[in-house]
Amino acid sequence: MRIPFMSMFIASPFDGLQEHAEKVKECAWAFQQAIECHISEKCKTFEEFRQDVITMESEADAIKRRIRGHLPKGTLMPVDKFQLFRYLREQDRVLDAVEDSLNWLSYRSEPGIPEGLQKEFFLLVDANIDPIEELSIMVLEARKYFKNFSEKQRTLVKDIIRNLRRQEHEADKVEAMIKAKILNMDIDPVTIFHMIRLAEIIGSIADHAENAGDMMRAMMAK
Amino acid sequence: MGTEYYILIAGYILGFYMSWNIGANDVANSMASAVGAKAITIRQAIFIAGILNITGAVFIGSHVTNTIRKGIVSTDILADPHIALIGAFSALLAASLWISFATWKSLPVSTTHSIVGAMIGFGIMAGGFSVINFGKLGAVVLSWVISPVFSLIIAYLMFKLIVKTILSKVDSFALALKLSPFFIGITFFIVVLSFLCKTPLGKNLAIGTPAALVIAFIIAFFFGIAGRMLLSRFIKKSENGAEEIFKRIQIGTSCYVALAQGANDVANAIGPLALIYFLVKTGSVGDKVPVPVFLLLFGGIGIACGIGMAGHRVMDTVGKKITTLNNTRGFSVDFAAATTVLIASKMGLPVSTTHAAVGGVLGVGLARGLEAVNFRIIKKIMIYWILTVPAAAITSIIIFKILQLIL
Repeated sequence: MRIPFMSMFIASPFDGLQEHAEKVKECAWAFQQAIECHISEKCKTFEEFRQDVITMESEADAIKRRIRGHLPKGTLMPVDKFQLFRYLREQDRVLDAVEDSLNWLSYRSEPGIPEGLQKEFFLLVDANIDPIEELSIMVLEARKYFKNFSEKQRTLVKDIIRNLRRQEHEADKVEAMIKAKILNMDIDPVTIFHMIRLAEIIGSIADHAENAGDMMRAMMAK
Repeated sequence: MGTEYYILIAGYILGFYMSWNIGANDVANSMASAVGAKAITIRQAIFIAGILNITGAVFIGSHVTNTIRKGIVSTDILADPHIALIGAFSALLAASLWISFATWKSLPVSTTHSIVGAMIGFGIMAGGFSVINFGKLGAVVLSWVISPVFSLIIAYLMFKLIVKTILSKVDSFALALKLSPFFIGITFFIVVLSFLCKTPLGKNLAIGTPAALVIAFIIAFFFGIAGRMLLSRFIKKSENGAEEIFKRIQIGTSCYVALAQGANDVANAIGPLALIYFLVKTGSVGDKVPVPVFLLLFGGIGIACGIGMAGHRVMDTVGKKITTLNNTRGFSVDFAAATTVLIASKMGLPVSTTHAAVGGVLGVGLARGLEAVNFRIIKKIMIYWILTVPAAAITSIIIFKILQLIL
């Protein structure tokens, strides 16, 4: 067989991008479970969830490397190669932030999150989970756009990106509220430091998701 | 029965082998986009390609065959029928060997380049460098550069046009339906024109160029309208409606590709065979005589046999690999490749159908229509292109020397 035609078609990086986004989404679920578990006293499976997230993070890293390593020079794509890489980096940082927050929490398991902050942290986690779920939808819809170049589809993706921005803003507000509350609590300074950092790390999840959205917007620019 | 007849029989066998090989390998390249885009099944592709390769070969194939037969090597030196006969046979054998080797090693080698290279080698042996018709050869080589670029440009423009006028719009389905007569019509226009202009058929019907244009336009118009009526009856409106419409139109363009391929590629197999045939039958190159239809038919059937026997496996592989191609892209690639090849055939230029298809894919890729296309294949194709011609020429020379000793 001599078919030069066939060797022109290489694996689409969008497959990998989507796979990566799905991994991030899976992690988000485990992350939420882990935090809830950590807060409720009876739960013993925090460590298990944390290990799950660590495994998934390394799997996602493998996907990321696969995408980067399998785009030969001179590959024609609907988007710029380096924009794609920058998007991927942001999407990956979402996952890193998830992993970091669980790790940070595990460094000092006692006394854990003070009772007065538990409700606020639930709120913060929820506010940061939303943009993660939006990410995988965005990749799916953006891919459709690169297939049919329809204006309608473009608007749809732009709406998702706008939504991400709004969600990040919401998450920021919760983060600020928590930080203000922590700093005004009468607890030991180490716990204060532990909690402030935790709020910052969790808060950065939405930041990276928003950045990913901005990168996607850049890729879609005409 | 003299040696000549043995050579003629061997020529038939090799000619059949070459055409079989074209059918088995090159057809996949041209039908791949339609199969990959799921516009037609493999079985349909084999059927369409088989029938239309024969049609293209018989009705439009004579120009390119004549170029191979008497265009590259000056006919003056073919005065000595014995040498010419050996030479033509060596050329055919050398090209066959090269194609076998390339197929075995999966090298992106074109049958066109092998046969042209082999003919050059034969010319050099028979009468030195001076007998090569450099004007014609230059045109042929130039067409090898121009054809993929031309195909690339057409595919690029065609895809951009589809995006601009149909895909990007809100009601893409209605627009696709509305504009379908244009896309169907333009295909028919070129096909009909190629049948009527400068072919024995056109001559028999006594149709001049202006008349041919008018007839082609009327037929194209009629089929365009009819096609639209069929489309609007059978395709229901859906989110992916525009692609569905192009899926049906692509059935037509696959036929177009197969026709163009038959017209151009048959010469690679039976160009030298036609030369042998005339030398044996008349003792000359048959300068004034056209290629007999039965030879074209013979080549067409050889291609069809190749498609029927080995096309299935190749197209199955290609179809599985090319999944990112959808119908609007496939249409652009098919249209560009077939138009390029058909125009080249009318001008008597042996171009590579494969390269035209590759150019078409790159055109769509440049228009940002594909998720990932490897551009670097061009480099590889160019290297093998530059290697094939001298390699086939040298092989042809060696075989010529050996045969000269024996016969």
